[in-house]
Amino acid sequence: MLLNRTQKNPIKITDKKIVEWKYATCGYCSTGCSMEIGFNKENHAVSSRGVGGADVNRGKLCLKGIMEHELFASAGRGDKPLIRKHWHEEFEQTDWDTALDDVADNIKKVQAKYGRDSVAIISTGQMLSEEFYTLGKLNRGLIGTNNYDGNTTLCMASAVSGYKRSFGSDGPPGCYEDFEHTDCLIAWGSNLPEQHPIIYWRMKEAQEKRNFPLIVVDPRVTIFAQSADIHLTVTPGTDIVLQNALMHVILNEGLQDEDYIKKNTNGYDELKAEVDKYDPTTAAKICGIDEDTIRVVARLFAKAGAAMQIWTMGINQSTHGSDGVVGINNLALITGNIGIPGGTSLSITGQCNAMGTREWSSCSGLPNYRALENPQDRDDIAKFWNIDVDFLPTKRGMLQTDIFRAIETGEIKALWLIATNPLSSLPNTARIRKAMERLEYCVVQDCYEDTESAQYANVFLPAGTWAEKTGVMTNTERRVNIVRGIIEPNGDSKPDFWIFNEMSKRFNTEGKVNFPTETHEVFEEMKVLSKGRLCDISGMDYDKIEKNRGIQWPYTQEQADNGEQPPAGGKRIYTEDTTFRFEDGKAKLIPLPFVDNNEVPDERYPIWLNTGRLVEHWHGRSKTGKVANNNKFSPIPFIEINPDLAIEIGARDGDYVRLVSRRSDAIVMAKFTNRVAKNMVFLPFHFHDCANRLTLGLLDPYSRQPAYKQQAIRIETIEDQKSAAQLSMEMREY
Amino acid sequence: MWKVRDDEPKNAFLWDKETKEKNIYGHSIEKTSDDSPLRNQSLNINGDSSVGDNPNRYKQHGFYFNADNCIGCHACESACSEKNDVPDHIAFRSVGFVEGGSYPNYQRLNLSMACNHCDDPVCLKGCPTRAYTKFAEYGAVLQDPDICFGCGYCTWVCPYNAPQLDPVKGQVSKCNMCVDRLEVGLQPACVAACLGNALDFGVIENLPKDREQAKVSIPGFPDPKITQPNIRFQQTKDTQRDMTRPDGMPIKYHKQDNGEFKSVVDIDKHSSKKYWGMQKLLHSHENAHAIFTLCSQAAMGATLWVIASQLLNLGAVKSTSGNGMIPMIAILLILLTYGLIKLNLHLGKPQFFYRGYYNLRWSPVSREIAGVTLFVIGLMMMLFVEITGLKIFEYFAYAVTIIGFALGSYYMYKLYRIPARPFWDHWQTGSAFYGTALSLGSLVFGLLLMPFGLSDAGIMQIASIAMLGLVLESIGHIVHRQDVKKFGESQASYFEQVTTFGKTYQMRNTLLGVNMAIMVWLIMEPSALLLAMSFVSVLVSAYLGRILFYALVIPTTMPGGFFWKNDKFKEHAIETGLADMPQMGVMADRHHKFDVKALIAVIKQTTFKEAFTQIKSIVRGG
Repeated sequence: MLLNRTQKNPIKITDKKIVEWKYATCGYCSTGCSMEIGFNKENHAVSSRGVGGADVNRGKLCLKGIMEHELFASAGRGDKPLIRKHWHEEFEQTDWDTALDDVADNIKKVQAKYGRDSVAIISTGQMLSEEFYTLGKLNRGLIGTNNYDGNTTLCMASAVSGYKRSFGSDGPPGCYEDFEHTDCLIAWGSNLPEQHPIIYWRMKEAQEKRNFPLIVVDPRVTIFAQSADIHLTVTPGTDIVLQNALMHVILNEGLQDEDYIKKNTNGYDELKAEVDKYDPTTAAKICGIDEDTIRVVARLFAKAGAAMQIWTMGINQSTHGSDGVVGINNLALITGNIGIPGGTSLSITGQCNAMGTREWSSCSGLPNYRALENPQDRDDIAKFWNIDVDFLPTKRGMLQTDIFRAIETGEIKALWLIATNPLSSLPNTARIRKAMERLEYCVVQDCYEDTESAQYANVFLPAGTWAEKTGVMTNTERRVNIVRGIIEPNGDSKPDFWIFNEMSKRFNTEGKVNFPTETHEVFEEMKVLSKGRLCDISGMDYDKIEKNRGIQWPYTQEQADNGEQPPAGGKRIYTEDTTFRFEDGKAKLIPLPFVDNNEVPDERYPIWLNTGRLVEHWHGRSKTGKVANNNKFSPIPFIEINPDLAIEIGARDGDYVRLVSRRSDAIVMAKFTNRVAKNMVFLPFHFHDCANRLTLGLLDPYSRQPAYKQQAIRIETIEDQKSAAQLSMEMREY
Repeated sequence: MWKVRDDEPKNAFLWDKETKEKNIYGHSIEKTSDDSPLRNQSLNINGDSSVGDNPNRYKQHGFYFNADNCIGCHACESACSEKNDVPDHIAFRSVGFVEGGSYPNYQRLNLSMACNHCDDPVCLKGCPTRAYTKFAEYGAVLQDPDICFGCGYCTWVCPYNAPQLDPVKGQVSKCNMCVDRLEVGLQPACVAACLGNALDFGVIENLPKDREQAKVSIPGFPDPKITQPNIRFQQTKDTQRDMTRPDGMPIKYHKQDNGEFKSVVDIDKHSSKKYWGMQKLLHSHENAHAIFTLCSQAAMGATLWVIASQLLNLGAVKSTSGNGMIPMIAILLILLTYGLIKLNLHLGKPQFFYRGYYNLRWSPVSREIAGVTLFVIGLMMMLFVEITGLKIFEYFAYAVTIIGFALGSYYMYKLYRIPARPFWDHWQTGSAFYGTALSLGSLVFGLLLMPFGLSDAGIMQIASIAMLGLVLESIGHIVHRQDVKKFGESQASYFEQVTTFGKTYQMRNTLLGVNMAIMVWLIMEPSALLLAMSFVSVLVSAYLGRILFYALVIPTTMPGGFFWKNDKFKEHAIETGLADMPQMGVMADRHHKFDVKALIAVIKQTTFKEAFTQIKSIVRGG
């Protein structure tokens, strides 16, 4: 109008013609963003946006959430149950009854022949809590295999185990609002800007107001590390040495909170004795952080009014992941940084409802943090479900990683996989593949039929995804939020809840156990089971949850009855003295001797292989790999490699190179960057037939979580770049 | 009107209270006076005739980017793509980065960039179809994809890679400043989506809360003098001396003593080995330009010979040319037509070719097209005169042809003088173009005369002029070789010239030498056979030189990423077939058919009055 024309042309801006916005909670990570999906007149999901009034995300979404409406109609979705006699035959379409009968019959047959525990069930952290609860009831109450776990063993098991060991129960004590109050933040093996961009934004908002010091512990110069005031490039696998050294300085210089320790903890003397061995000079040689920096960080942390620690997979995915979590808890406990505003040890969780699995799936025990080992808990649940208490095992069975070892050894003969894809996600793919081939019967239940694990399935059950279903999820800060079935599941696929209920009919032949047909009825059951417990949700209901954009637990019936509205955020646990979940209400300080059992670089395999995530991808890429606006930012696997190392081996930027470990090899593109050390490469784990061909995945003794981030490889250049490109491309078909 | 939500978060709203009067370029921030008729008009967004109530509606707005804070999370660009339904393979806003230092003293600087709604919008001035308008409302530079015919010239002139040519739809589209959101007081979608507190937006020169700088330069950002962009930066964290790009472009940014960054060639990007690079050269979408410019320059050179032989009474060639005039002119017309068809069919919407005349007021492309059209008309008149023998029109025909030549050839050269493309922005482009007209044109002329008996004297004259053309071209190359050092981008082009295309470049140079030797030989020992052979040799050298010219140019674009916005990966994806998977976000350039139906539809829709207004506005503006 100013230049070029006096006659104004009308402006055309895309109008998606949205007639209705429907509420949902994001189905990717456990930040737990409230969002709305826009539907047009034809009832197609065409838009996503963050809910403005939601305390978690305050109108924002990350790039995955922004494109989440594209998931419903994405490629590779299943729409018909599939069946076949043997996995090397072609699948045939079938009806639900035939498929479910086949599954039930085969599970019963295998159990009859080899025993109850010869069947394993592995689920996920991405279903809804009502579904977890129902599956838990179905298995613990009727199918009865003790080899029942979730893929959360691959991401959160160490946090769970560490919380239990320190505090007597799982359940992260802090919340996002702690950023607003903290005077010092240490991030252990967490790259918030890439892994949890919305939580990062909450942190950044707080930091711009109060400019508290940020310390990032990460061997790689991530964006988070780069923006830290102090970046500790720790040697892989030595976090507890650093933690012990920090405690050594704190205790030696008398910076601890004696009063808090005395009131709230046991095991102080044992801890002191162990920590005494880790003076900064000795520790520096092991963990790679100089003694001076160790002292500076220890003093900064201990002297801060309120100090906060967060962590993610850098701690959890390690042979001493559980110990690393305990170490963080130790640091928090000796400085009195639990349950106070800005003082917490907050595990930044992975999957959208990893917390929900922990609370409700009965994988590691019984609903709502109840333990199989506790006779009272067994009794309560048996009564509540109307099952024989003797049907319940008295000890937790195998975890996901051990289940696969048991398949290898022939102990487990049948497998039911639900919304997880171990062929991509477990370490050492070759070993997993062999195990899968040994199975007598396998059923895969997933919203994508092109999941790699489905190639070993006798039956494929097409499930609904995310907002095709109704139920609640719990996020990192213990916030229960809701999705509702705002769109019909794709084709003939069904919500997991429906599948479990249909399956229960085939095991509940006497009709003893009640399986409600609506998820809100299940939620009512869960509320009853939560009453008076740490994770008390009895004051919540679906509408209240949606109205409040999620409610943090605990929120009790009494609070609701008294008309007490749930707070927008800022809810913490262990806020009072001696409220930890051990009998005497005290937390445990646990000494952490350092055992170095990692595969470390040597002459033949001289390079550290570090694996991790990218902001644009979600786990095994079965979702984001199909959304071009996510996938295009990294459509093929690559490594970050230091140019000095690359030049030494003769590779050029953008070349395909071959990574070789003691397990197998992988072909990736080399991206030069000084973000990584010369003796380490970073490889995103998202791509099938790539990172996990190489990983060793030694297991944590407590959590049985694999160490994905510490192993040794060598790198070879590839003469024939063309066929390398071809090979890399063929592996990208899904 | 865009709907503001009941729970719209506070940070989604615009925040300007007071505004300054002048921007740093000395221009008024207020775009109109209070009584201007431009005020209080509806933007007519999607047929909505309401007028927004934004109090700063007539002030120049711009993005603010805090490079200290950007985390490279792509939320801004995804929010933009989501709102505007941008096809996956293009983006109105994109995030790239530069990096520097040694582990662990490493630094990555992310750069999120869209359109800068410049004070001097070179896209608007370059666009031949007048698809661009700079609005008094917010100072937004908006583009109408429906008007665009997909020539891509705006993508050449914009230093920031803001206009996006969609190879599938065959049209450009770009950032619209989310004027629909501005009308109701909301920030653009990208800004509202930012997760690093890096991106902001407001009346230009206004500092967002808690920010201290408003610079117009950061590493990787082109010289603001080119377009006077309406973007301001903060970048307070100390930077490394060398900041490199993750994409394939052999450019890095080097810190000067004054702290500003200058682009320099990055020879570590790839090996210094010499290659032919023929695969890339012969299959470039820009080859249409090579063919068009060569055809038209050859035809122009030959036509000048025809006219000169008649007017200047060049005895040596006049006698023969007399007999051959009709086939000669006819063949030159065919040559020209071939070039024009090639050029036309490389457009995204070839059927709307006539829109190329729309921007005579600003665009060198429109003027080139007009000039060449005039030249074609002149040539047709010359043919008419020869066929009918109506000699009274002879001089008029010559005059039209010469004016057409002068305008067409000048703007053909001028349109490559693009500041954002330093390798082209040199007089050498002109010496190469006019040199080719002289050398190739002379030889075409000679070749066409041959059937009618070309005298030795004629061959000598032709060879002399051809020699002049080759010398002119060579001098240009020699001077250019020195001058490329002035800019990082042209230095990088030169680096590509001697590596990726090193062998082709050497061959072109050798041929230039050989051709000059042949011309000297011809002048001394005229031979029709050698003249014919030299035509082939000059043609090959001119063609190689021209496709190199197009392949080599490196624009001053923003740095991309390792995969996304990396031409090197894009090429790789197309070559290997990765690009066939739609989720890769890579689409190859392609040709579009001449859609007669679409043309007829437009003709049917357009009233005579509209057509008349359109024509009037071409001449008079408005």
